Order: sequence, then structure tokens, then C-alpha cells
Amino acid sequence: MSESTTPASISPADATSAAFESLHQRGNRLLNGDQAMAMLCRLAAISVLLMLGALCWVLLQASMPSIRQFGLRFLYTSEWRANELEVPRRVDGKIQFDADGEMIVDVKPAVFGAATVIWGTAVSSAIALVIAIPLSLGAALFLVRIAPNWLRPFASFLIEFLAAVPSIAYGIWGLFVLAPFLQGGSMLPGWLQWAGNAPVLKWLTYSGVNYETPDPADTAVFFRGVEPMLYAVFGNVPGLAQFFQVDGSSIAFTGRDMLAGGLILGVMILPIITAISRDVLNAVPRAQIEGSLALGATWWQSSKQMLAYSRAGLFSAVMLGLARAAGETMAVTMVIGNVNQIAMSPFAPAQTMSSLLANQFNEASDIQRSALTEVALILLVMSLLFNVVARYLVVGKNTQSA
Amino acid sequence: MALSKFDIFSRTKSNVAWTLSVSFAAFIIFLLLLVTGYLLVLGAGSLSLEFFTEIPSGNVVATRDAAGKVIEGIGGMKQALIGTIILIGMASVVGVPLGMLAGIYLSEYEAGGWLATPLRFICDVLAGVPSIVVGILGYELLVRPVWMGTNNAWAGAAALAFIMVPIIARTTEEMLRLVPNSFREAAIGLGATKAQTIRQVVLPAATGSLVTGVMLAIARVAGETAPLLFTALNSKYTPISLDASFPFVHVATNNAFPSLTVQIFNYATSPYVEQNKQAWAGIIVLIALIFVLNLAIRFAASRSVGKTRTS
Repeated sequence: MSESTTPASISPADATSAAFESLHQRGNRLLNGDQAMAMLCRLAAISVLLMLGALCWVLLQASMPSIRQFGLRFLYTSEWRANELEVPRRVDGKIQFDADGEMIVDVKPAVFGAATVIWGTAVSSAIALVIAIPLSLGAALFLVRIAPNWLRPFASFLIEFLAAVPSIAYGIWGLFVLAPFLQGGSMLPGWLQWAGNAPVLKWLTYSGVNYETPDPADTAVFFRGVEPMLYAVFGNVPGLAQFFQVDGSSIAFTGRDMLAGGLILGVMILPIITAISRDVLNAVPRAQIEGSLALGATWWQSSKQMLAYSRAGLFSAVMLGLARAAGETMAVTMVIGNVNQIAMSPFAPAQTMSSLLANQFNEASDIQRSALTEVALILLVMSLLFNVVARYLVVGKNTQSA
Repeated sequence: MALSKFDIFSRTKSNVAWTLSVSFAAFIIFLLLLVTGYLLVLGAGSLSLEFFTEIPSGNVVATRDAAGKVIEGIGGMKQALIGTIILIGMASVVGVPLGMLAGIYLSEYEAGGWLATPLRFICDVLAGVPSIVVGILGYELLVRPVWMGTNNAWAGAAALAFIMVPIIARTTEEMLRLVPNSFREAAIGLGATKAQTIRQVVLPAATGSLVTGVMLAIARVAGETAPLLFTALNSKYTPISLDASFPFVHVATNNAFPSLTVQIFNYATSPYVEQNKQAWAGIIVLIALIFVLNLAIRFAASRSVGKTRTS
């Protein structure tokens, strides 16, 4: 922008003559510049309103067939079957034959229920929050109260940069670094092993044994991946054994499972929750802290005061993190294993709403596409809900502190 | 709480909490450095010249001669780089003016009006919509009905623009509000109309920060994969060609369109090691792009602050 357009250099004569000019033209034109500008801006604003309207309407319209066919059952049934199924007709447990001796079969139509993916989204987001909340609140307290001044801009830049790193980058990291780290064994691709063999990283990616079925008795190896290690420790504990099984049979660890999905989501929302809670904690009036310190409060007691004072803002930070985690697609798709099932084990592959969409939407048709759109609609409603709650609490907080 | 400083239990608890806070921060920084470190080291290690100069050759494994020298590699991602730039350009042509005008409306025309609160709220909500949902909207609006199921660049660009608009609208509004009211009063006092005030006084005073908002939005959509999966998808052909027939530059917008992020996703999930390597290379290029944009944002922001103060 050239200097002549900065406000300081507009001469009064220019502005006045420009104003006279526009006054002159006002009568001749259908729409003068002033009205045109206002009109344009208003149109843009209305089109933003229309964008949300279009989003809701189009998704609702496209998922109507599925809503009509499955109704509320869609939300709590877990069968997701895109193909028709032929089953022999049975009466009293006996297979029926027609006159020609042919088996009589009933055709079961395709059926869709979203319970598995709702479960997947809920559990993976919950794992993410359990990891991210304490870590990021602690880090935010550190940034606000402890960090030396020289460290703050560096840490802030790192956190803001990581909030801007695209999810596909986290996905690749999760797929090639986190998953082998969880799984252990020989899944680490050969070309990655030079990185794993670097002295600093060796302990992280060390994979000494090649095993297919983990053997809890084998403790000779220092580190063989997180999941086999957990299995070695907890695999035979009576109450916990079920967490290493799906339908009664033990799991072959792949490193691409619910736990990996939750972990990668946790890593992704760390910078977001940290950044927002840092801002929220920074806004606590100094008098609040100094008052409690003057009364003899310890560091932790005054920190608790800060956390309590800004609890609404912190809650919105968590909600925004949750909204991000629930809607996140690429990273989760790459590490969660993409199996439609509800399993109690965090080591079993799972599926979230968004990963289901990413996996199936392009190949789907007819009623399956409609069912997938309904999943997208649920996702939309959920994210709207989280955002509304988060913003509402932020608004409430602002009015309270004003 | 009074006098509790002398209470051993409270002091110990406080020390534990202090240590935890420090160690959590250290752990986060370690974790984030670990992520970036892996991305940088492995990404930079996988970069090659072919990555920038070749399109995918169609091979999934490089063919080598007896000495192990590569005869024909798996190609590069040239077409995806070009495609992503074109997609971002197409999205910006629609998204930037639309978002800016909506932001101007919020800040200059309707700051306290009945439309402002819901509009602001809707912008915030739209910015939080999962991007894969936007991809499905693009499919249902522009792929299935208009292009009869053919993936095309327009749908991809529209989906990206959809993501850009609320971000740009909100940053524009916030940046314009930072322009002191005395600027507007002075302009109106000199007889300028509202449009003149906005165009010649308010916008120039905020140019630097407006650029920040635009680049923020571009950095955001540059890394988006999910909205492109169902709209532009990906292609292994260079989308742009030059020849003597009008309009000389031809962009193949009506077919599946190459994009860096979708290609990275395809290559990362592929079973072939060489494709995996190129996915890492693609990531490092993408992150470098976003990093440069980030630095530019900071530069523009710092300049604009100085400008507002001095003028």
C-alpha cells in the first residue's frame, strides 16, 4: 500500500472534492458508490448466513432416505452392512426347502446403525481429553506463572505453530512413529530404522524382537513397544485381562487402534487447549493473585484461585479442544485401524464418525451414502453443540468480569 | 488459608504441584519438538529433485538395473504442488472478498445491530465445523448434481472457500475494530461518504492486519485434506497446459484435480515404501509452506501495528 493512501496524508481538499463529486453523481446513477458498497457488504453478510443454512439443509435433505428408513434406531444399533444378505429361512430351527428341493432364502436388506462410530468418536475423544487436560492446564500455569520471560515467546511460537500444523502431518507421524512405538515388533519400516537407531531416539523406537503373538513370560527385552509391555504386566491380572481381548480371544497388537487414535488426538489438541487456557489465565486480574499471596497462600493455593476464577474460560478451552477432537479426520483415519466394532479394549481397532466418512463415502451409493450423510449430520450437530456451549460460556465469563 | 505458608502439608503440596506444572510444560515441549523433529528430519531426508520436477510415473516401485541404479523412479508430486496452488488460488478468489466484505459489514455497518450478534456467532460456529462435513457439502452441491458424480476442481475450491470465509470475516472484523474511531470521524468530518471512508481511510489503515487474516486462512486451507477427498480428489496428471489455442492456458478443472494433501494421504497409507517416503517429503514441503506463511503473518502483523501507531 502506497503512502499516499494512509489516512495521515489525505488532504482535506481531496476528501472534500471527492465528496462533492459523489454528491453530484448521486442524482444521475441508479445506485451510487455508497449504496453499492453497503449493498455488497450486506450481500456478503447474508451469504455467510446462507452458508450455514445451506450446510444444514443439504445434509438434512441428503440424509432423509436414511432417516426415514432407520429412524432413531440409527443412533443405537451397531450393525453397518452395505450389502444385502441372503439367509436360509428357518421354521423351528429347520431350514426350509421349496418343491424343487431348493433352499428358501430370505433377503435381508442393507442396514446401517451408527452406534459403533459414535462410540469410537466418544471414546477416542475421551482418551484425548484425559491426556490433554492435565498436561495443557499444567503447561498453561507454567507459561503464565513460572516461565522466565525469555522462554515465553519461544514456547508461544512453538505452540501456535503446532496448532497450525495440518492434521495429515500428525497422521503421518502417528502412522510411522507412534503406531510402531505402541506395537513394537518389526513393523517399523526399514528406512525408518536409521532414525530409530539414532542414540537419542533409540529407546523410543527400539524393537529387538520379532514376534507375532506377544508372550507375557518373555521379559528379557528391555523395550518392545507399549502395548506388549502393558500386556506383559497386566495381561494375566484377573480383572484387567478383558482389556486385552475382543470377544474372548486375545488381540494381535497392531499399534493402529483406539489407543493410538486417542493419543494422536490428545497430541493434536494439546496446543489448542494450552494456547486458549494460557490466554484465559493471563486475563485473571493481578489483584486476585496478589491478594491470596498476601494472605499467605502457597503457590498451589493461589493457582487454584486462578483456576477457579477462570473456570468458565478453561471449560470453553476444553470444549473447543473437544470439538476439534470429535471432528478431526485425517490423523484419526490413519491410526485408528478402521474396524467397525464396539470393543472394551483400547487395543482393538475402532472407527470414528469422521474416519468412517473418509473410508466409505467415495465408494458408497444410494442408501449407504445417505446413511453416511446422516453420520455427517450427527457430526455437524455435535460440533455445533460443542461450539455453542464453549462460546456461550466465554460470553458469560466476559460479562461476569466486566 | 491464612498463615498456611507455615503449614508443612500445604507447602509440600504446593511444591509437588509446581513441579508437576513445570514437568508437564517440559513434557509438552518435548513432545512437540519430537513431532516436529521427526517431521523435519525424516521429511528433509526424503526430499529429492524428482519430487518437484516429475509427475507420478505410474510405478509403485522403482525399477533398477543390476548395479542398483534407478532406471525409472516412481516420479514426484509436481502436479500436486501445482494443483494445490491453483486450488488455493481459486478458493481465495471467492473466499477472500466474500469474507472481507462480511467482516466490513460486521465492523462498519452493523457493529451493534440486530444482525451482528447472530452473524458473529454463525461465523464462529462455521469456523468450528469439521472439515470433512464441508467436503460432503461440496459433494452434495457440486459433484453429484452439477458434475454428475465427476470429481472436479470447482467443488474442491468451493469447499476450501467455505472454510476460508468465516475465518477471514472474523479476523477482518477484529482488525478493522482496531482502527481508531477518530480516523472515521475525521474522514466523515471532511465530507467523505461512508464508502469513501471505508475504502480510503479504514481499509488502508488496517491493510497489514487484513493481510494477516488472509494468510491465516490460506495457511489453514493449505493443509486441509478432508474437504478435498470427496470433491477435487486427486489426479496424477499436470492440471495446467499451455498451447496456441484460446485462452492459451488451459486448466483441467472439470476432472479430478491433483492436490498435495490427498496425494500425501494416499502415499502415506500405501503399502509401498517409496511412496511412504514421498509422503514424508510432501509433508515437509507443506509444513515449510505453512511455516513461511506463519512468519509472513508475524511480519505483516508487526508492521501493521507500527503503522497504526505512527499514523
